[in-house]
Amino acid sequence: MEDVAEAAIDHALRSGAEFADLRMESFLGTVIVVMDGMTKTITTMVERGCGIRAFVDGGWGFAVCNDLGIGVVREAAEKAAKLARVSRDKAKVRFKIDEAPSNRKKDVYPCRVQPSSVPVSDKLGLAMGFDKSMGSVDERVVSRNTRYEDYEGKRVVANSFGSLVVTDEWWTLASCSAWARADGIVQRGHESVGNVGGYEVVQSGEAAEIGVKAAAQAIRLLDSKPVPAGKFTCVLDNRMTGMLAHEALGHACEADTVLAGASVLEGMQGKRVATEAVTLVDDPTIANTFGYFAYDWEGVKSTRHTLIDKGVLSGLMHSLETSSRMGVPADGAGRAESYSTPPIVRMSNTFIAAGDVKKNELIEEVRDGMLIVGAQYGYVDPAKGQFMFKCDEAYRIVRGEIGQRYRDAILSGLVLEALHGVTDVADDFVLTDPGYCGKSGQDARTTDGGPHIRVENMLVGGLA
Amino acid sequence: MSTVSELADLTVGIVERFGGLTFDILVTQNRAATAEVEKGSMKQAASVMDSGVAVRVFDRGSPGFAYCSGHAVADIDKAAELAVSQARAGVPDPDFKGLPVAENVTFRQGLYDKSIASLQPDEAVDMLLTLTDVAGDDKRISSVNAGLMVAVGEVALRNSNGLSLNQGMTSFDVFSETVARDGDMMFSGLDYASSRRLERSSLETVGRSAREHAVRGLVQKKIETGDLPVVMDPLASGYVLAQAVGGGVNAESVQRKRSYLSGKLGEKIGAEGFSVLDDPTVEWAVGSTSFDGEGTPSLKKSVIESGVLKSYLHDSYTAGKDSIESTGNSSRGDAVWSYRSPPSISFSNLVVAKGDATTEEMIRDTGRGVYLRLTFDNPNLATGEFSGLMMESYLIEHGELGDTIRQATVGIGLVDMFSRIDMVGKESRSAFGVDTPAIRISSAKVGGSA
Repeated sequence: MEDVAEAAIDHALRSGAEFADLRMESFLGTVIVVMDGMTKTITTMVERGCGIRAFVDGGWGFAVCNDLGIGVVREAAEKAAKLARVSRDKAKVRFKIDEAPSNRKKDVYPCRVQPSSVPVSDKLGLAMGFDKSMGSVDERVVSRNTRYEDYEGKRVVANSFGSLVVTDEWWTLASCSAWARADGIVQRGHESVGNVGGYEVVQSGEAAEIGVKAAAQAIRLLDSKPVPAGKFTCVLDNRMTGMLAHEALGHACEADTVLAGASVLEGMQGKRVATEAVTLVDDPTIANTFGYFAYDWEGVKSTRHTLIDKGVLSGLMHSLETSSRMGVPADGAGRAESYSTPPIVRMSNTFIAAGDVKKNELIEEVRDGMLIVGAQYGYVDPAKGQFMFKCDEAYRIVRGEIGQRYRDAILSGLVLEALHGVTDVADDFVLTDPGYCGKSGQDARTTDGGPHIRVENMLVGGLA
Repeated sequence: MSTVSELADLTVGIVERFGGLTFDILVTQNRAATAEVEKGSMKQAASVMDSGVAVRVFDRGSPGFAYCSGHAVADIDKAAELAVSQARAGVPDPDFKGLPVAENVTFRQGLYDKSIASLQPDEAVDMLLTLTDVAGDDKRISSVNAGLMVAVGEVALRNSNGLSLNQGMTSFDVFSETVARDGDMMFSGLDYASSRRLERSSLETVGRSAREHAVRGLVQKKIETGDLPVVMDPLASGYVLAQAVGGGVNAESVQRKRSYLSGKLGEKIGAEGFSVLDDPTVEWAVGSTSFDGEGTPSLKKSVIESGVLKSYLHDSYTAGKDSIESTGNSSRGDAVWSYRSPPSISFSNLVVAKGDATTEEMIRDTGRGVYLRLTFDNPNLATGEFSGLMMESYLIEHGELGDTIRQATVGIGLVDMFSRIDMVGKESRSAFGVDTPAIRISSAKVGGSA
């Protein structure tokens, strides 16, 4: 693969590109879905392909093929160069891609048990075990879903600065959903485990419990009520703090969004965007996390980004293009979902750093508010500056005591206001949910997290 | 068509060698071209060639599915072997009653537009720049981000019952996210269009809509929490109904009692004026097809008729389990089919019956309430409840559309929502796979931030 990659980059340059890069992949993957004790689907992916990008004076061309023969890849390189000229002819904004260090590295993710060495019957047996564990919790569990995913691949990133980074990559994930029913009401609970690494990820003690946890949550929610709408002081648990870190500010700190004129944080560098208690970090270099990578999808070494430093907006995340256009060093945040998509600026492990207050103290000081637990999903429109998250569970806090359980609470806020309400940050830091973040139609593996935090005046939406 | 067809026949031979299995095979040959504008400037043109082979095998109902990208015979061999070994590793499923048999298929019009297949990259770029010019035509617009994508695909579907079908498909998508600024105020206007044919007229309408909604959002007002009538723009009703109806009537969820519509067949779940069809025969609609992802002929059917739940959506598995005919709702993913995931149940095109009110009449009649244009929240299909952020909404005051509402939420039970539909618009548009007019909900919980 490496020889073909370097030949293709040369060919793109000869075809008129000022700069060229490519991502070439060959991978195997498995997805198993078990529903109610039966196999729903077992999918195996056998995939290979190459996406090559050429740049000419402000215009990009991108061509994808799924054959790694030298002839086909050269043809794609030529096509990319041609498309770059088509873009360049109509581009109004002119810029160059600044030369970045040439990295020639091989990175091998830690992996004890290669997924491809495990028979599919074992993986299916594992998924069936999770299914059974959900069913064993309570007879009110009426339906169960288990999903198992693994990925094992080789990725070659090459560019015309001479970089050639080869990554041997593995990741493994398992998730459980349980539906419980009582008195005509159905509730869903879910739990997942995932990390870079091989089959050992789903054989851990933590993994063994996800079925029971998902089922227990569904049962708990059976006696929940719809949440009242209104403004509340909220204590967010580790997962919800993570979602706040990711959605409320993380996305708006992606430099491509800023250059597109679609981030409310444009021009806010060095300004206060949160209380002093808040430090927000995105860090792909943390080993053994689902958001880990040593070199990004443009061959740049990854780095820790401090986005908010004690309340002040202090940095953005960059790709080769955005760092060139904004006159800063490339910092390794360019990621592509696969060979078939071009790299864009992405988060990795995003979190609010720990404070020094005890979690119980955060709750005790609330006269009338909500404890928000778990995160289902969230999204943000960085140009409108609005975000929203849906939690798993919410509990009323009255005079420091946790009471009534609610379901389906949504929290919403404004990017420029949200973190001004953070009054206290606890010391119980956890990097939590492995998941996929979607942007421009591409998924990236990420985690987020942080400690419990208390936020004043959060808008809670609900039915009651 | 000969390449995919010949390769599909060859793959049948490969899988048949394993003996005694039920299987289907999808061979695809797709290509896509995209153009992208960032902050008013042409940014990237792309070309994606994507072909592949998907093999699905059942051994006594136990499924296996494997795909390979590309058309290399060695990879097809490997995919076939993996799919067979997976099927054999699983537990037999007595609810599996077999795959569709070959039937006469009526080949539909409006699936393949030759002008998409022959579109050149510079033409695609020029079309996108036409949209960009329209979207940016106001001094308050600070940025126009936009994209255009065309895709062309040929598929060949075969199964162990001798079913053999081929189909060509095209799709066309444009979108614009246009940002307006005035001092510290900033707002974005979003719109998009999607079709199986090249729709040049959408360049003007999408560009203008994105621009107008961005500018309109510069004047914002907070509102108080309360119960208010909500007029849902087709963009909002399309997004919510795709999940609430399309997801709610998925027979897989219904049979497993994961849907709030389980056990409600034949029951009244909505107002008299609320009717929804699933119609894969609509010319040029993105969900249209002559046959579904398993080869069942496509069929128009009523899902909700005058508020009564008439049908769930089935594939061959769920239909077999209920001992009925498949409704032809097995989906292979995108508008142009993909080999990358096993078929699963989905609606084709949902069509919400039109009423007789203009949007202006709906707003005037409402007096005071909310006009919801955009939300991206998913209903909870287990509980049948919806709560979401009103990403773009307007206050209705004195029967007129007023200021943009700053930060507010909306919540309602889905059956309540359907039952409180008391006015339906007479102009429809396609949004998120749903062809729908504006609908008015007589009352929902609006969470305000004032």
